[in-house]
Amino acid sequence: MKTRHELTEILDFIAEYATYLLGSGVHTSRAIRNSQRIGESLGVDIQLSSFQRSTILTVRDGETGEAFTRVVKIPALPISFERNSDLSALSWDALDEGLTLDEIRRRYAELTSKPRIDPIFVLLTVGLANASFCRLFGGDWTAMAIVFTSTLVGFAAKQRMQAHGVNHFLIFIIAAFMASLCASSALRFDCTAETALATSVLFLVPGVPLINGVIDIVEGHILIGCSRLINALLLIICIAVGLSATLLMVKDSLL
Amino acid sequence: METFWNTIAAYNAATWPAQLLLVLSGAVLTLLLYKRPSGAVRTAMKIYMALLNFWIAGVYYLVYGEPREYHTLLALFWAIMGAIWIYDLAVKHASLERTGHHALFAGVLFLMPLAYPLCSLALGRSFPMMTSPVMPCSVAVFTIGLMLAFSERVNIILAMFLCHWALIGLSKVYFFGIPEDYLLACSVVPALYLFFREYIRMLDPAHSKPGPHVLNALLGILCLIIGGFFTFTLLHQLNLFAEI
Repeated sequence: MKTRHELTEILDFIAEYATYLLGSGVHTSRAIRNSQRIGESLGVDIQLSSFQRSTILTVRDGETGEAFTRVVKIPALPISFERNSDLSALSWDALDEGLTLDEIRRRYAELTSKPRIDPIFVLLTVGLANASFCRLFGGDWTAMAIVFTSTLVGFAAKQRMQAHGVNHFLIFIIAAFMASLCASSALRFDCTAETALATSVLFLVPGVPLINGVIDIVEGHILIGCSRLINALLLIICIAVGLSATLLMVKDSLL
Repeated sequence: METFWNTIAAYNAATWPAQLLLVLSGAVLTLLLYKRPSGAVRTAMKIYMALLNFWIAGVYYLVYGEPREYHTLLALFWAIMGAIWIYDLAVKHASLERTGHHALFAGVLFLMPLAYPLCSLALGRSFPMMTSPVMPCSVAVFTIGLMLAFSERVNIILAMFLCHWALIGLSKVYFFGIPEDYLLACSVVPALYLFFREYIRMLDPAHSKPGPHVLNALLGILCLIIGGFFTFTLLHQLNLFAEI
């Protein structure tokens, strides 16, 4: 039997854990499974419903039937597959090793305070990845080099604007515009300029919300799945707006 | 190529007094930044840099570069860089305080805009159909020198813009046969290496990954690749000259 204090402590921790997962790019059913696994290891039942910006959690003591509910905001965190994997492993450790709440909390703090990937490293590798996309779509070496530096400009602008708290949609429009504007310099040269222009904005495609949206819908979380897909669609429209602005300026048409 | 040189000739013939004034202002402000740095001098330098970028966008590309294809695009590119300097001034990002690092290299970069016309003369061109100190690539080299000598925290977007411009400059050597643009390409690779090396030096290894060694190695490899690309273009260009 859990005391009221113990139940609220468990609820507070699992709320933090689940929203951290959801904010870091985990699909809903995985966040629910992990949270319920930790709940099971601590001897309580967890029920969780998630929306785009908030989550409703209920913790219930099986013996007494006493239950508490919280509505928690989902933080906007950078997507990190490493964190997601570590935190999922923590839920298994909690169950397999029968960890106490204090021990789970200690390990959670340790995992979430691990160093993040350096932004400059991300900038350079995103540039290389986008240049590789250009090659995959048939771009030549000149186009690849132009896409590489264009991506550096667009992504650096995105990083700086995110650091300054600029609106998410505005960031995507400006970053797409800047990257495609730089890539349009390929039009002056004898190279695969169209490929360079088209692939210069691929680094902005919101892959994680798209995949998570589909997984959520397939697994029955229709509401959050649709929210994620609509959010991803809006971001794609923002990319299109930025790219269209460049195309209208340099080619006087969208095609 | 003929259009390219004709627009340059028209620009130089019509604007040489203004260019002279801009060069003198730049030299005076740079000397003041070295000798008597103050808030007013730093603000004046930022305003000067914004003005210089808007000059390239408006006068060089929109007015005299009009016969060239995609001149509005290039004008917008330089106008954005001008706007970044205005933004920098508004938020007080770059301190423009003397770093004391790479003094010799920065000094060479400050003199590089003057080397552009000398290179043109050496290649057998004559006024007004020659490169001058107030043209896009020479302004880009000057900006890199300024960032290297006076910025503890480099404006990364501006640095990336200049990196992109240097790459276009390198492509121009290959496609349009303008070897003067090697000067920018030669400057930007070591300058980018130094910008990022300074950044890596300031990293706290406990709070970021990969570690400084891996980042340094990646940076070195990237600079080697860009340097290799540059050397290949140079050798190719020399071959072309031999054929001519």
